[in-house]
Order: sequence, then C-alpha cells, then structure tokens
Amino acid sequence: MPQSLSRYRPLLISVAVVLAFFATLSATMEARIWVSILLSGLTLAALYFLLASGLSLIFGLMDVLNFAHGSLFMLGAYAGWTFYTNPRVIFNTAPLFLALFAGLGLARWTHLLADRLPRRGLGRWLGLAVVVLVAVALLTLGFQAFPLDRLVAFGTTVAGRQVATAEAQEPLTQGLTRLVLLFLAGGVLSLGVGSRDVRQASAGPTSATTPSTLRAVGLPAVLVGLSIVLLLVRDAGETLMLKGLPSDLRFLLALVVGAATGALVGGLIEVGLIRPLYARPIYQVLLTLGLLFVFDQSVKAVWGPAGAFMEIPAFFNTASDRCPSPDLIAWLSDHCNSIMVLGRPFPSYRLFIIVVGVLLLAGVALLLQRSRLGIIIRAGVQDADMVQALGINVRRVFTLVFALGAGIAGLGGVAAAPFVGVNPGLALGFQLPAFIAVVIGGMGSYAGAALGALIVGLARAFGDYLVLTGVQLPGMSQALKASPTVANASTVLIMALVLLIRPSGLFGKKD
Amino acid sequence: MESTAPTTQRPVLARAGWLQRDGLLLAALAVLALFPFITSLLSGEAVDQGAPKFFQGLLIQMFIFAVYAMSYDLLMGYTGILSFGHALFFGSGAYMMGIALKHLQWPLLGAVGLVIVVAIVQSLIIGVLSLRVHGVYFAMVTLAFAQVAFLLATATDFRQWTGAEDGLQGIPVPALVSPTDNRLRFYYLALVFMVIMYLLARRIVNSPTGRVLVAIRENENRATMIGYNVFVFKMIAVILAGVFAALAGSLNALWNLNATPTVLGLDMTIEALLMTIIGGVGTLIGPMLGSGVLTILGYWLNATFGRNWLLILGVIYVLLVLFLPYGLVGTWRRQSARFGPGGWRELLRRTRS
Amino acid sequence: MSALLSVEDIHTFIGQSHILEGVSLQVDRGSITALLGRNGAGKTTTLKSILGLTPPRAGRVVFDGQTLNGRRTFDIAGLGIGFVPEHRAVFRDLTVEENLRIAERRKGDLARKADFIYGLFPDLKRLNKLKGGQLSGGQQQMLAIARSLVPDNRLLLIDEPSEGLAPVIIEQMMAAIKTLSEQSTVLLVEQNFIVASQLADRYTLIDDGRLVQTGRMADLVQDRATIHRYLGAA
Repeated sequence: MPQSLSRYRPLLISVAVVLAFFATLSATMEARIWVSILLSGLTLAALYFLLASGLSLIFGLMDVLNFAHGSLFMLGAYAGWTFYTNPRVIFNTAPLFLALFAGLGLARWTHLLADRLPRRGLGRWLGLAVVVLVAVALLTLGFQAFPLDRLVAFGTTVAGRQVATAEAQEPLTQGLTRLVLLFLAGGVLSLGVGSRDVRQASAGPTSATTPSTLRAVGLPAVLVGLSIVLLLVRDAGETLMLKGLPSDLRFLLALVVGAATGALVGGLIEVGLIRPLYARPIYQVLLTLGLLFVFDQSVKAVWGPAGAFMEIPAFFNTASDRCPSPDLIAWLSDHCNSIMVLGRPFPSYRLFIIVVGVLLLAGVALLLQRSRLGIIIRAGVQDADMVQALGINVRRVFTLVFALGAGIAGLGGVAAAPFVGVNPGLALGFQLPAFIAVVIGGMGSYAGAALGALIVGLARAFGDYLVLTGVQLPGMSQALKASPTVANASTVLIMALVLLIRPSGLFGKKD
Repeated sequence: MESTAPTTQRPVLARAGWLQRDGLLLAALAVLALFPFITSLLSGEAVDQGAPKFFQGLLIQMFIFAVYAMSYDLLMGYTGILSFGHALFFGSGAYMMGIALKHLQWPLLGAVGLVIVVAIVQSLIIGVLSLRVHGVYFAMVTLAFAQVAFLLATATDFRQWTGAEDGLQGIPVPALVSPTDNRLRFYYLALVFMVIMYLLARRIVNSPTGRVLVAIRENENRATMIGYNVFVFKMIAVILAGVFAALAGSLNALWNLNATPTVLGLDMTIEALLMTIIGGVGTLIGPMLGSGVLTILGYWLNATFGRNWLLILGVIYVLLVLFLPYGLVGTWRRQSARFGPGGWRELLRRTRS
Repeated sequence: MSALLSVEDIHTFIGQSHILEGVSLQVDRGSITALLGRNGAGKTTTLKSILGLTPPRAGRVVFDGQTLNGRRTFDIAGLGIGFVPEHRAVFRDLTVEENLRIAERRKGDLARKADFIYGLFPDLKRLNKLKGGQLSGGQQQMLAIARSLVPDNRLLLIDEPSEGLAPVIIEQMMAAIKTLSEQSTVLLVEQNFIVASQLADRYTLIDDGRLVQTGRMADLVQDRATIHRYLGAA
C-alpha cells in the first residue's frame, strides 16, 4: 500500500489542490456562479485535452514534439466548417487529393526508378531539383484556375443559415484533366519522398512479393477509381448534399471530415517529412515549427486572413418559446440554445463539447488499455527497438499514432468552431494552452495530459471571471481589473510554478 | 541534446595569416562601406535619394537582422540550446527603446542602458525557469513565454505604454541617429553596430567560455563530468544571446520609428531560425549571410508573389530543413573539408567529368 | 549439420566508432552456440547487427538461406528470430500477460504455447496480472525468455541471461534454456563461462570486435590459456 501511495502522489496532491480550490470557491462565491464558470472551464479543458492528448501520445511514443499540432486543429476546423457551410466542396476537392495520394502510392514502383538516381554529390541535388520542379509544375497545372475562391468564399454570415447554392461547374473533362495531372504529380513526388523507406521495406529477394504487388497496384487503382466516381456523381451528389441534408447530419459529417483531414495530413507529415529525420531529432522539431508557419500562411491564402463564425447546428440551437430549457430532460425534447443550470442559462453546445472531450478521453484510454495497438503503444513508449525486435512494424505504428493524434486534433477543431469560430489564430491560440497542459501534466503521460488540460481550462475560466469582476485584496481601495488577454497570459504562471517545483510535470517520467 | 552542427574547426584556414583569414571579410566590409556611393554611381542618383536610398534601407534592415540571427546562433549553434522564443528578446528590446524615448523621455544612452538591463533580467528569469528542462522541452517552454509577451503587448490594459494592437508609434528618435533626417548616417550606424557585435561575438566564441559552450553542445554530460557548472554556462549563453537580440531589436525600433506586436510574434522567431539555417548553424558568418539572403529573397518574393510570399518562404524553410540542414556556410565548410582547399573547384571538376 | 544462421565478416558502426571489425559465426540447427568475449568485445552489437537494430555496413548475415542485410528489424524478427535482450528488458508498464501477448505474431500464439511456457516458468502464471516493473530480477528474466517463446521462433538470441541473478535462479534458468533448446536453436551471449560451458555445444570467441576462434565447447574447456587470455578468470 505505501508503495502505491507514493506512486499516486502527484494525483493525490492535485486532487487535494482541486478540493481546496473548490472549498475556497464555495466559501467566497455563490454556487450558481462558480458552477457556471466551472462548466466554461470544462469546455475549454475538453478542447485543450483534444490537442494535449495527441501531443503527449506522439511525444511519448516517438519523441517528436509536434509544433504543428495546433495547425492540425485549425485545419480540421476549416475543413469541417467549409464542408458544413458548403458540402458540395467535397465533390470538387476530394477527387483531386485522392488522385494525388494515388500517385504517391506508386512509390513501390517508382523506387525502382529512384534507385537509378545518383545517391550523393551534385547529381543527387540535380535529381532532387528536377523532381521538385516537375512536381511543382504538375501541381501548378493541376490546380491552375481552380475556382478555389468560389468554392470556399461563401457567406461568413451565421444568420441566414443558407447553404451555398449549386453553381455551374467546370466541364467534366477539365476535372478529369486535373485528376490526371495530379496523379502524375503524386507519382513524381513519390520518387523523392518515400523511396528510401520503400527500398528498405522491399529489399531482399524473398520478401513476400504477392501481397505487396497487390497493394502497390491495388491502392492507387482504388483511389483513382474513387476519385473518378466522385467526380462523375458530382451533380447528383450535390443535389443530395444541398437539398437533402439537415444541419445536424451535415454537422456530424463535418466532424468526420475534420477528423479525416487531420488524420490524413498528420499521416502524410509523418511519412513524408518526419520519417526521414528520425536520425536528426532537432530537425524534426525545426520542421514542425516550419509547418506551423506554412499552415498558418496557407490558411490565410486559401480562406483569407479574416475569420468566420460557424452556425451552431439545429440540435443545439432550436428556438422556441420554451427556451432556455429548464433542465436536461426538457432539453432532450426542445433542443434549446441554453439550459438552465442552478438558475443560470448555459449554452447547450458547450455541454456537447464537454461530452466529446469525455468520450474521447475514455475512448483513447480504452484503446490504450485494452487493444493490441494500445499494448504496442505503451510498450513502444518504453522501448520502441524491443517492440520492433518482436516482429512488429513500429514505423507503421508511429504513423498510425501520429494520424490518430492529428485526427483527434482535427475533430477538436470542428467541435470548437461553432464555439470560437474559425480563424488563423486558432492554431497558436489552442496550441499554447495545450503545451502548458502537457508541461503541467508531464510529457508522454496520457493521464497527465488530461489533468493538465483540466487545470489550464479551469484556470482560464476562473481567470477570465476574476479579471473582469476585479480582484480586491485587503488594503486596496479599488478592485484590480484587467482584460481577458491578461487572464490568458497568466496561465503561463502555472507552468512557471510547475517548472520550479517539478520540472518533469505531475505525471512525467521523461525529461 | 544531439549536436546539431558541424564542428567549427577550420584546420585549413587556421594556419593562414590574418589577412588571408579575414581578407574576404574585410573586402566584404569595404564593399558595404562604399555601397551607397557605388549604387549612386551606377544609378546616377544622389546618395540620399532614389535607388541608393532604397537599397540603403534594405541593407539597414539586413544589418539589424544579421545581429539578431547571430545572437540566435550563439544559443542554437554554439551552445546547442534550441529556443523558440527568441522574438521575446528582440521585441522587448524594441519596446524598451520606444518606451524609454517616448514615455520616459530618456536620452539615447539611458535608453540603451534600459534595454540591456531589461534583457539581462528577462534572460535570468527565462533561463532559471526554462533551463530546468532540456531539448525540445526547452523549445516548447520558451515558445510559451514568448507568446505570453506577445499577448501582453497586445493587451488593452497597457495601451498607454505599448499602444496595444497598434503598437508603439512615433518614437521620437534623437536627431543624431534619426533614419529620416539622414539615412546615410543611419546606414553607417547600422553597419558599425553589426561589425562591433560581430567582433564581440567572435571574441566570445573564441574565448575559453565559448569553448565550454561548444563542449556543452557536443556532450552535456561530459562537460558536467569534467567539472563545468553547465547551468551557469548555459545561463551565460542565454544572457548573451538575449542582450544581443535586444540591442538588435532596439535598433530596429529606431529604424522603423515604432515597435509593434509583430516584433514579438512567432514570425520573428521563425525568421531567426530561417536566417540561421539558411546561413549555417554553428557559425557566426552563416546567420549574417542568411539575413542577407532572407532580406533579398523576401524582397523578391514579395515583389513576385505578393500576398502569398510568406507561404513560399515557409515552404523554402521546410525544404531547407529537409535537404540543406547545414546551411550555406556549413555545407561549404563540409565540402571544403572533404576536398581540401578549393573545394568547390574540385567539386565542379568532379561533376563535369 | 547445416547452419541455420551464418554471419560473414560483418562490420558495424555506431555513430563514427567502428564497433565490429569483422565478426563471423555459424549457428548450427538444433545447437546452442555461445558467443563469448569480454566486456565491450562486441557481443551485444553482434546480436543487434543480426537483428538489424544496428545494421552492419559490410559483410553478410544469412538466416535459413535468406540474406538479412538491408531488411528491417521487424521483418527479420518475423522470419522466426526471437530476441531476449540484456538487462531483462521487459515492458515495465505492461502486465505479465500483456508482455506475452504483445509477442504474438498470429492470433492464438499465446493460447497455443501457454502450456509449454507456463510449464517452463510456473511462476509467471501466478504473476499474470502484475506489471512487468513489479517483478523481481529473476522473474523479469523468465518473462523476457518466455516472451521470445510465444511465436514459433526457429532461432533465439539470448543476451546475458544469468547477469545479476542469484545462483538458485541461474540453475532454473539453465534448465529452462536446455528445455527450450529442444525446440529452437539458440545463440547465447554469456559472461559467466561456467553457465556458457554447461549449456553450449559450440562457441565463437570474439575480442575487440574481431573473431578470435570458434570450435566445440568441449575443446575450449580444456584450453586454459585461451580462457585465461580472453575471458579473464574462469
């Protein structure tokens, strides 16, 4: 028993602090006020957790601190919002990316060609330069005069609730030409990106050739087929999407789109950019910081530097004369914007965010504890080499976990959008508290990420309240007030405190 | 932390005399000193007008960034400390200079003193807190601190001091160093500033302290076991880099006559990284060269691609990290080391055959 | 007898240092071969080179007719090579059962081998729900060996099984290795010469990353001079 007691000491200390905190609260504030602040804090904590959990998992397993994690959150938000307001966008954009991925999937073939390229010296640079130039040229051609602005620039208004109307499309042949060009671009890129890894994987005369050939042909073929089909059913699909989808279903699909965007982009980042740099860990970090910058700029280039609001789906936003709902049971039938909590209305959508956070917390915990993948992840955190020596392809697990963390971040972005809107500031705005959360909780610890997110979320909510109402210490003639920005900045004080007392964080094992 | 840079030993050059060693640098300095007059001759315009004036402006910005990038490399390249919060020092220097001149109405020297004192205090606080963690963890913590400084600069609470989102505008710069009154004078001021800072930095990295810093970069545990107080030496590096960056920032405030939140932003840290990586990690000349490349590249990209030039810059950065990790100077030295003196000639010969 | 594994003049670098400067060895089917040498001779690196954890830059590794050079570790292990690393590297945060389950290469491996494994190490069944980190040194070593027995491995690479264990436990360990060697071939790295000499049929002696000699264990036991020179006291 004493042994397990010392094991849980950080947890016990934090519980004690939280209890003391609430004791002070109930002594100094009315319950209905602090409960409402508490719920706001939990909303933020849920969103921070969706970022912090991925950061922590990825760092724990592969020692990569992903500075672009907030960008994945932001990309998820933008993708989900775009789909939600304009679902037809998927028929115009998805085929292009599918074609590009199909081309990248050719790596198993193109590496034969890549092997012929000079391996070192100026020849290698020239080869690389040619590959990059040809790929850029194909990409430029493929996206040339793509009506991007028409696809993404639609009402930034919330009020109308209208969905973009079906417009005249570009001719089908033009769409198909784009597919071909992007497929080729992907093929050329595969020369530069995955060749080294593939070469290693398929080296050796006896490695089972049949399944890998099947995959080498099958995957790109399926992707190409899918992209063509999507393009062909474009008009019918759009009619369905535009006319037939209620906002709730669109929102549900938007969550999926956001998560898928995050996971796909994350997976690609790991395979294409981070994997070549495992021997140079510092450069991985430099790279992800660069990606943070690149995504920030791309979002500004595609969607514009100004942000937009996202309408709350009808499920959480139905107006009626019975609103706000007096309690949760009543809410289930009238879906009001707000629910009364101890006599104060609280937005029902924010409760949904808390539910999403709790569900994912439990879901990922279950995955870690119960599934084979979870066992492999927990083992890999300790010793990835040994996991590899058991015959498990750890690289693939790395990619999977990276995509998983990125997918959760993307989902979080969509969930956050109706609450905070979409704008380029989302990336750093949410990454910073997530960083502080993992520093507090301890890098690489899943429970730590959850606890850290909780602490930072609550601190933000109570900080906001305190700076607005003002803090009056004994002996002060006037209450000290400040702007929410100061409350936001002051969460870093908690991080400073943790660094002073326990640099490895509450649950941290790694330094 | 793994060593991120090639070693700085230059056996070939070390043997040569000072003229041979620094000849190239002196020539470059001479060109820079005569630059206003050369452009004036070439364009046929007066030194303080038109094209010459414009290019002087470009170079002034480059000199300021050169010192800023060099200060970053003192940390990253020489000590092996990866900081993502360097903008904090640059920006604070700019704001302190502005506050001292505009609100406190101090003389210039007093303002410079304030900049240095604040930079040292900041470095001490950041160092004590952040040096408790290592590697990427340090990067994350410093990024958090810098973002907080950025947030505070934009906060409305301190509007009378910082100007909040608008920034501190209209800094009353003393006539002696005013870039508007006499740009040519400011050009030489910036040039002299860069040269002095470079000589100082070179003195530092070649001193025993500098060698300890490199030892820490190469192997922190070994440095500890030899008996160095690693924490103190890292602290020295953080303070030096902080003061250098703050001075560059204060000159930037004089040059722009303002200090806006952007000088504290993440973009500013990325620029330091970009210049250091373009030029070469672990060298002093590299980052300065990097600032030149970045200034010219930025100007050209901005003119060519307009609004999206920063996106292109970001992509270039990513490609550099992937394919040219040692930068221009680092790669050149590696090639020279491989082929001996005249490395590039040899390399060209080989590729031709 | 034909060789299941043959290592031909491999050279391995870690960073810039040349660790193996020409190591060759053969492991015959059904035998226990001991890889001997003093501390730092390159024994562990040899095992890691076979597995591709530290891939050799030159030379060849052939397992059952297949060249292993250039293949990735998981792929090599998947051919039927089990690894029991030194320092009893079990997964501390996994339970004993999870430590075994993670080694499954096909579903049901553990169920199929349970009787054999628990027969060999009865303690493990009792400790099933404990975390790896809570086990004693001897129990961890048993778990590490048990883990390598879960899939059908044809070759086991066992690194320093007796290190830091009490004599009674070493006895048990030796008995277990004897038993499992009836099913798979073993390449054993062992500092304790008495243990090695009782278990192994053949030996390969390396020093400073180079092959010294190889032969029958029975012959080496007689060769006091060699033992003294390369293995210190014996």
